[in-house]
Amino acid sequence: MLNVPSPADSPLPALQAEAVSKAFGTGNLRTQVLDNLSLRIEAGELTLISGPSGCGKSTLLAILSGLQKVDNGRVLALGSELGQLDLKALERFRLEHTGFVFQGFNLFPALSAFEQVELPLNHMGLSRSEARERAHCSLDEVGMARRMKLRPSELSGGEKQRVAIARALAKEPELLFADEPTSALDAANGQMIIDILHRIARIHGTTVLCVSHDPRLVIHADRVLSMEDGRILSDRRNQAPVIDSKVVSQ
Amino acid sequence: MVALARKTLIYEWRRFLPAMLAVGFAGLLQLLQIALVLGIFGSTSIYITGSSADVWVGYPGTQSVGQGRAINAGVESRVLMDPAVERVEPYIWVDGDWRGPHETGGVSVFVSGIDPSPNGLMFSKALPASLRARLAEPDAVIVDRSVLDQLGVGLGETATINGHQVTVVGISTGLRALGGINVLCSLDTARQLDGDPEDIGPTYLVAKLYHPAQADAVAQRLRGDTAFGPYTTWSAQDFANRSVRYWMFDTGAGAGVLFLAGIVFLVGAAITSQTLIAAVNGSVREYATLNALGVGVAALRRVVLEQAFWVGALGLLGASVLGMVLLLLARSQDVPVVLNVPAALACIVLVMGLAAISGLAAMRSLRRADPATLLR
Repeated sequence: MLNVPSPADSPLPALQAEAVSKAFGTGNLRTQVLDNLSLRIEAGELTLISGPSGCGKSTLLAILSGLQKVDNGRVLALGSELGQLDLKALERFRLEHTGFVFQGFNLFPALSAFEQVELPLNHMGLSRSEARERAHCSLDEVGMARRMKLRPSELSGGEKQRVAIARALAKEPELLFADEPTSALDAANGQMIIDILHRIARIHGTTVLCVSHDPRLVIHADRVLSMEDGRILSDRRNQAPVIDSKVVSQ
Repeated sequence: MVALARKTLIYEWRRFLPAMLAVGFAGLLQLLQIALVLGIFGSTSIYITGSSADVWVGYPGTQSVGQGRAINAGVESRVLMDPAVERVEPYIWVDGDWRGPHETGGVSVFVSGIDPSPNGLMFSKALPASLRARLAEPDAVIVDRSVLDQLGVGLGETATINGHQVTVVGISTGLRALGGINVLCSLDTARQLDGDPEDIGPTYLVAKLYHPAQADAVAQRLRGDTAFGPYTTWSAQDFANRSVRYWMFDTGAGAGVLFLAGIVFLVGAAITSQTLIAAVNGSVREYATLNALGVGVAALRRVVLEQAFWVGALGLLGASVLGMVLLLLARSQDVPVVLNVPAALACIVLVMGLAAISGLAAMRSLRRADPATLLR
């Protein structure tokens, strides 16, 4: 479905951070959130970033996805340097290549599940029929095809998150970013979301970067990065290692 | 294309209702105000617009119909000499003091002495021929239905004007005056009522042309002749505008109306923009998510503007329906209200302008839809 080179035949990582730093606040109240961090995320993997609150994992996700600019260093996503892109170009990049799943599902109350998924596709320049077909497929994939006429108020938390995932998935992104996708859900629903994210990485070859402190996610991830105080403490692989993967933490 | 703006408006109609009401009532107020102003100030030119004269001849510098002074009766022959003129008749304006049969005290009245013949020009559009013919009787007057209580008379009753006895022979409609009360009588009766010995001629001469379109040209060439003493000429349209302008601007009433219109606009815009801002803020996380997915800020702005447009359109629809009902009610109660196409268009422009400004204000709160804030 997607033309993303696998790590085996290309040395180019899906995401690459080189010595990035990010601080918030001004003057004496300045807090260093990311400190000279370097990182490569390989294509087609489900990578989990975990760590305590305030360790900088969400900021790292925002920076790698182009939602936030770095103070120092550079970020390469699919070979493009995000720091070089202006606001319009960044929007274009996100429209064409990225999907997002947030902790809050952020669905429009007025729209049915189907319309939630179709809406961003309308802006991608797809034909009406293609947009509808993709929306249908992607809702089917997350097991929501039969409930696609319902509005968010008629859906459970797990169902809402599945719609949110379908909304991101229908764009057929090379990069999928998920921020605490399971923390608002109970065990069963959380497990279902984890399975779906895992499947997306496996079947579509999508690079899934997930930020979470949910321990259930750890066993499903191809790779787990632990963060603390703006640095990466450990980098573990759960399955057969990918040769080119390495973390440089200074 | 998923119609996000419209679907949200329908689904969350309660959220948008205050904005629609604010727009609607602002529109309604503007509409009624314009209709009243046109009606009331339009009544200052009823003498002109209710008559079929094309050219008016009066004392130089006259600012409104009610302020004319007598001109030389000989001007009539000068006007008749013009080949474009079909008919000329005098019009006498007398300020009178009315004493009714019942206790009303002295009432200030504007007496209009007109030619009661069937082809008379004055009030030809406002007075039915049968009613007009009754004025031929000596000392006969016609008064408007809306002022019977003020004058304290009924049909067939007698009263005095400037001490001279008159009889009410007819009741007219739609001849309400501003700042006084219109009383119609024949030219002969009017001469009897006029106590001023200096008034030896008519107050105005009104002329009908063979070709009404020539009114401006004829008025122009009749002007400037001083052989019969001071007089000047206007086309009927010019003189009507002059009268309305005098009341609108020289009396300060127009400034009051404009001031009120401005206040209504500001209050409407304040309420509408606040409601739209609240609606945007309520969906700011969803907008931010769309932006994260790459939907541009420009597209999100269009959604907000479209919502403002619908709020304006729906408010306008409500205002129109309610406004028409109220205008019909006003008509039935003899309240002078007039609505013409330019005034209605002005209302529409004002209301949609109000909605647009509110939409632009609400668009600013989209700045808060920064997707990075979702990652906290």
